[in-house]
This record gives sequence, structure tokens and C-alpha cells, in this order.
Amino acid sequence: MARIQASTHPEKAKSDHHLDMEILIGYILLGGVLLSVALIAIGFVWRWVRSGNLQFQYTVAGMNFFEFVLSSLRQMASHELRPRVLVNMGIAVLMLTPFVRVLASVFYFALVEHNWKYTLFTGFVLSVLTYSLFLR
Amino acid sequence: MPFHVLFLVSVLAGFVGAMTGMGGGVILIPVLTFFGMDIKHAIAVSIVSVIATSSGSASAYVRDRITNLKVGMFLEMFTIVGALAGAAITLVSGRRFLFILFGIVLLSSWIALLRQGHEGLHQTTRQDSFSRWLELKGSYYDRSVQQLIVYHGDRAYLGGPLMFGAGLIAGLLGIGAGALKVLIHDLVMRLPPKVSTTTSNLIIGVTALAGTSVYLAAGMIDPGLAAPIILGVLFGATLGTRLLVRLTNQMVRRIFLGVLLILGIEMIIRGVVRS
Repeated sequence: MARIQASTHPEKAKSDHHLDMEILIGYILLGGVLLSVALIAIGFVWRWVRSGNLQFQYTVAGMNFFEFVLSSLRQMASHELRPRVLVNMGIAVLMLTPFVRVLASVFYFALVEHNWKYTLFTGFVLSVLTYSLFLR
Repeated sequence: MPFHVLFLVSVLAGFVGAMTGMGGGVILIPVLTFFGMDIKHAIAVSIVSVIATSSGSASAYVRDRITNLKVGMFLEMFTIVGALAGAAITLVSGRRFLFILFGIVLLSSWIALLRQGHEGLHQTTRQDSFSRWLELKGSYYDRSVQQLIVYHGDRAYLGGPLMFGAGLIAGLLGIGAGALKVLIHDLVMRLPPKVSTTTSNLIIGVTALAGTSVYLAAGMIDPGLAAPIILGVLFGATLGTRLLVRLTNQMVRRIFLGVLLILGIEMIIRGVVRS
């Protein structure tokens, strides 16, 4: 299959598995960044339309990733704070982007490539990242 | 700092960062502190924006199949632990130390960049057994020479631990530390230049995430400041990548060498003079 095409299309001279993983990771990263930018931009535009001001002045007390997401979502109840929730969600999506990329790699190495060595490596990276998201 | 100043500074940082391949942080942090932002807060917001630029450009490089995923995923194990340690050190260290260290890193990048022009390809077919066990090899199609480049990664036993150091610097100073990573890929693991830069880009994203978590937990990330910086740096980086094609490499290098030297000396002076 891919082997035969290799002579005519050097760019595709890779196994099918390899190709899939790169496409998968590429689109996870692209999708995450675009979603994050969209959320932040909409948050700012909303804020500007509502108050004619682009400035957000608030600080976040020390909290881990999950507390950050939960406390932001709780602000949804307040009409006044909704643009800020969007901005916070944009940052949360951005932080999840590399995390989801690693998560997908673990599954890909385990389920598609059956490469246990790299399942272990990416699994280690995933556990350290998970631990870091729970840091307090 | 008002929104438009933050945004413009970030566009500039992202622009210069993308044109030179150094990332936005090395410009962003000195400029933010120049405008009066506390260096620790500048480091914390900068590292969030590093996730954005790294992921954005990595997405394209990965789909172009130049990035070596296995090399990246092996080395990530070391950089994320380094970044966690580095960010934790920043939280407890003095500001004077951070200014001086930042200056030293800028000046070393200056030296690294100065040397860069004189190196040719130093590819090798040699590969130690550990790197072979790690399956560190690959190939990519180089459009500029219209050739399939086949390569092997070497000395992973040395590259891994050194990457811990690169992660440490990244977490400590809120930068991607791409220059350091590229240097390790290039000189220690003997990867082709294109593979070095693109793979380093992939690693920077998770490394920055590990650092970001520490700063978030410490309450140092202000979303109201981080958000315009993320938008600005990404916008600037997109512009920079587009323009890169038009400007000659030599000119970009000369401009950036000058900027690095000035910022490096300036940061060290500010660290020393601080009372």
C-alpha cells in the first residue's frame, strides 16, 4: 500500500499508522488553539460591547486547574460576569490542548501501534501532567 | 497595563519570536518588566502564551511530517519534570536572581545564535544501542533540496538528562527555551536542523503546561492579563511566519542578535542595580 506509493510520492513514504497519528495530533493541537482563541476573543468583544471597555481587572486566587474551571463556571450564574467566564474557558481549553494531545498519544501507542514502550513513556508524561493539574 | 499596550507588546514579541524561531517569551518578559510588571507575574503569564504559540506552530509541523514524535515523546518525560521543578524554584527565589539568570540565558542564546551560521550538517549513521532501542529514527521529505532525508537519533542517554535542564530553565523563566532544546537535538542527538526545531516546538507545549499549572496554583496567573497576551503573541507569530518567507535569513539574524544582546545586558544590569 503505502510502500508502493513511496517511490512516486516520497512525502508519503510512511506507514499508514504513522500517518494517522500525525494527522490526529496535528488536528488536536490546531483545534485546541483555535477554540481557545475564539473563546477569548468572543469574551473580549462581549465585554467591550457591554461596557465599552476592554480591561478585565480580576485576579485568581491560588487554585488548581479543576477549581479554576469550576469557579469560572459558577460565575455563569451572574449575568455581569459572563464575558469573563468565556475568557477563563479559553485559557482552560488552551491548557487542556497539550494534555489531550498526550492522552491521544497514549491511546494511539497502546491500541493502534501496540507499542508498549511508548505507551509507558507517554503514560508517564500523562500522569505527571495530571498530577500538575491537581497541584494546589 | 492597559489592554492596547499589552496587546501591542505581545504582537511584537510573537512577531520577533516567530521570525527568529526563539519563541515570544524572551522578548515578552523583558518588555513587560520594563513597563513595570513584576518579573514573577511576567514569567507566569508568558508561560501560558508559550502553550499557545508552541501548539499553533507544532500543529502545522506535525502534519507536514517533519516532527519526530518518538524523539519528542521520549524527551518530554525529562522536560516536564524539569519545568515543575523550575517553576517551584521561581516561586521561592528572589527577583534579583531571576533578572540576572534571565540576562545570562539571553546572552547564551546570543552566543548560540552567533555560532549557528557556521555549522554544516553533521549527520551520522552511527547509533548507540539505547537510542536504537528507543526507535529514534525517521525520515522526511525536504522540499528545498527535493530529497528524502533519512536520519538516526544518537546519544539519547545524554540527551534525556540534558533536557531536564532545558525544562528547568523553561519553568524557571517562563520561556520555551527552544534554543537550548534545539542545541541538544543538534549537537548531542545529531538530528537534522529541521527535525530539531520542529520537534523542540512540540515538546515546548507540554513543558509550558507543567509550568503553567504551578503558577496557576500559586495564584500568579491573572486571566485578564494573560488573555490579551495570548491573542497578541499568536497574532504576531502568525504575521512573523508569513513574513519570514520574504526577509532574508541573514537580515533576521542580525536584527535578532542585536535585540538579544541589548535585552541580555539590560536584564543583568537591572538585576544588579536593584536595591
